[in-house]
Amino acid sequence: MNTLERAMPAYRDRETEPLELRHQSDGRLVAGIDGRRVAVKLRQCFPWSEPTRYISLRDSDDKEVAIVDNPSTLDNESRQALELALAEAGFVLEVTRVLDIDEEIEIRQWKVETKQGNRSFQTHLDDWPRVLPSGGLLIRDVAGDLYRLPDPATLDKKSRALLWAFVD
Amino acid sequence: MQHSVIDREIIGRYIGQPGQLPPALRDQIEREWGNEPVQLYAMSDLDAGLRLVESWVALGPRRLAIARPHNGSWDVRSIDRLDIQAVHESPGLSANTLMLAGAPDEPPLAVARYTQRQRGAFENIRFVLDEAINGRTVTSDDADRVYSDAVARPIRDAQALVARRRATVTLRLLKYLAPYKRQVMFGLGAAAVITIVSLVPPYLAGYVLDRVIRPVQAGTMSRAAALPIAWLAIATMVGVYAIRQTAAHLRLRLMSVLGELVARDLRAELYEHIQRLSLSFFSRKKTGSLITRVTSDTDRLWDFVAFGIVDVSLSMIMLIGLSTVLLLLDWRLGLVMVLPVPLLCWMIYRHGERMNRVFLRAWRKWSRVTDVLSDTIPGIKVVKAFNQEQREIGRFDERNESVTDEFNRIHAMWTTFWPLLMLAVHTMTVSVWFFALPRLLGDGAALSAGVFVSFLLYTTMFVAPIEVIGQMARTMNRATSSAHRVFEVLDSEPEVRDAHEPVKLEPVKGAVSFENVTFAYDGVRQVLRGISFEVKPGELIGLVGPSGGGKSTVVNLIARFYDASGGAVSIDGVDVRKLDSGHYRRQLGMVLQDPYLFHGTVLENIRYGHHEASLGEVIAAAKAANAHDFICKLGQGYDTVVGERGHTLSGGERQRVSIARAILHNPRILILDEATSSVDTETEREIQEALERLIAGRTVFAIAHRLSTLRRASRLFVLEQGKLAESGTHRELLAIPDGIYRRLYEMQLQLA
Repeated sequence: MNTLERAMPAYRDRETEPLELRHQSDGRLVAGIDGRRVAVKLRQCFPWSEPTRYISLRDSDDKEVAIVDNPSTLDNESRQALELALAEAGFVLEVTRVLDIDEEIEIRQWKVETKQGNRSFQTHLDDWPRVLPSGGLLIRDVAGDLYRLPDPATLDKKSRALLWAFVD
Repeated sequence: MQHSVIDREIIGRYIGQPGQLPPALRDQIEREWGNEPVQLYAMSDLDAGLRLVESWVALGPRRLAIARPHNGSWDVRSIDRLDIQAVHESPGLSANTLMLAGAPDEPPLAVARYTQRQRGAFENIRFVLDEAINGRTVTSDDADRVYSDAVARPIRDAQALVARRRATVTLRLLKYLAPYKRQVMFGLGAAAVITIVSLVPPYLAGYVLDRVIRPVQAGTMSRAAALPIAWLAIATMVGVYAIRQTAAHLRLRLMSVLGELVARDLRAELYEHIQRLSLSFFSRKKTGSLITRVTSDTDRLWDFVAFGIVDVSLSMIMLIGLSTVLLLLDWRLGLVMVLPVPLLCWMIYRHGERMNRVFLRAWRKWSRVTDVLSDTIPGIKVVKAFNQEQREIGRFDERNESVTDEFNRIHAMWTTFWPLLMLAVHTMTVSVWFFALPRLLGDGAALSAGVFVSFLLYTTMFVAPIEVIGQMARTMNRATSSAHRVFEVLDSEPEVRDAHEPVKLEPVKGAVSFENVTFAYDGVRQVLRGISFEVKPGELIGLVGPSGGGKSTVVNLIARFYDASGGAVSIDGVDVRKLDSGHYRRQLGMVLQDPYLFHGTVLENIRYGHHEASLGEVIAAAKAANAHDFICKLGQGYDTVVGERGHTLSGGERQRVSIARAILHNPRILILDEATSSVDTETEREIQEALERLIAGRTVFAIAHRLSTLRRASRLFVLEQGKLAESGTHRELLAIPDGIYRRLYEMQLQLA
């Protein structure tokens, strides 16, 4: 056991607990831990650095009941239930084309095509797109919705021209 | 303008989703419900496959409907609200799920998915459903307003007015010139004179050359006949320049003073309006942004009024005048000069647009540089403690390099563009030579040397107005943005307003009553749910309970910072909404957790709100507040400057100055908001002592986390989840088995 692990025993304990995840008939995701069944919500610990690992399972009071550090260690059914729930919890709109970026007073107005459909959104003038660790850009609008541009360099010419000021 | 109107405009213009539940769908739902009204609704903008769609969830008194589009019409499914046994919300990064559960182990009654944009509207529905499950009824009176408020709020908070057309904003700004019509007329007149007389010297040069010099040189005119004309020409030049500079002086003077007057009027109106606005406005806007509006934005408007308006209109007059004179002098050469002008203006405009993009990129990189600074300078202790100096230097250098590249790009652009533009102007001049010389030598239509010289002189005058007109878009943009930010504040209405003929309580006795008071900051989610109590003058009421229980809201309503959504708050039997709020607040005092001292002396701070108090009274108040001693120890006693950029007082000292201020203010009703929460035990004892002197004979509402400080209270009100859960004396409340107060008290005893 190294120094870091000795300093964080709680983390090790949770890691070794057996865990079972199922979608209940009422639509909720339920975690079975040591015979207990708890309805849980997911929270990715690292949505951009490691989106499919270290998934925090939280009860209705938003307290962590377990953390899945690697879904491949789960049984098949649990893994499928987790992946299904993760698709929703980790969902962000994925921009495929930028149609227009216009500056107005106090806000920047974006018109984009996303994989999910067309969308207009607004950002504060001094809110800049964020570069993700895995590459690509992430934009957060004034309402809190997230828009991801996985690889701005592969977008069409007009989109790239519009994005030029925002990409290094 | 009403919020709901602005909200609908915002949704229509920016968000691109319906500003309300489609009326046909609403009719369809209400018909299906036997004409029961839709009370709340929200748009569910994601389907099960997480694609963007338009579906609706509507809530009525007894039913809830889910409407999905189906072949151009709506497929509506209603469920009975009584069947809903639980509501589960799963928030995600951008997709949220609301699940309405029926009987245990049965499939959910309904599932709605939506992006964060719709979350506010869904929160409202979830709140009402949750309340119903807990046996409480909440109704909403205006579903459209609640929906548009929830959806448009994030944008409205960023930009309170919908950006109107620039022309409208400019016209409104020009209205501020109305009181100064005379100065405007003189200023514009002076500017017009400058333009007109500027056209004279080149013409005169040509005239003298053709009509005097050449005839004299050719021997067709005598020197004697020529001399008076030459002297007259010189005199005219003297006159022209004298008039020009006098007009220039008048114009600069008049317009800069005028700009200052307009800026002063705007600043005064703005500041007065800001003072009248309700607290809710300040919770939405950042202080810095409001300060900028009163300072830099009005300053920018001064620039526009003083110079922008005149420069732009005069450059237009100048270009039209120049073109007319040139065409009249010689239309062929005139065309050579005039035809390229629109092209040059367009080039400058295009250059400005390109520069905007580069500036944006440079601005982004510049903010990366300032981010490092604002991160590491306040956090320098952490940087040093973790030995990260080298890493931070590296981070800064990388960003510094990157922004320098952008600045160099900007320099490369403008240093190329302007010489090129001048080259274009010179090309025009060369073209004039090219077309004129053969004619001067006798080929083609005749051209006199004088006209040629006039042309050359006029050519130099083209550059300045072209430049101004090319940059007009930018000037207008900057001015209208500033004007817009100023008007945004001016157009915000105070939410708490005095009645038509307000009542003045002379004096306030201090009886406070709440009658079934409900309150919701956003109109739906209630923070207070039907609170009733009566407080007699002179009572000391302790407000306790878990945070979020509604304690601060109760005192906010007593101070009338907000108006109750339902029920009534009365002071001495009069509804607070009928009171003259200024007069009422003069008899109300507040001592806050983190008291604010203004920049000024201790004396000025104690006298704030009671400027006529004598020095003796100030000392008496400070003594009562246990503040006199430490004030005397300050370098300059009561004249020591404190507050921003002044002498730093500790939390306990500031607290005692604020208590002295409250004692001098002599309020009938006093609010103590966590007055002793952030100080050590010794200071707390001194403050407690000061407070005891302060509260004598007044109605007091005290919020405290440390319950021990409230032992002397006449009564304690325990607020939990917006309800008055328990009330009574300390002893009475401790006697309640499983009481909330008893539980809180025991918990604190264990911690102590």
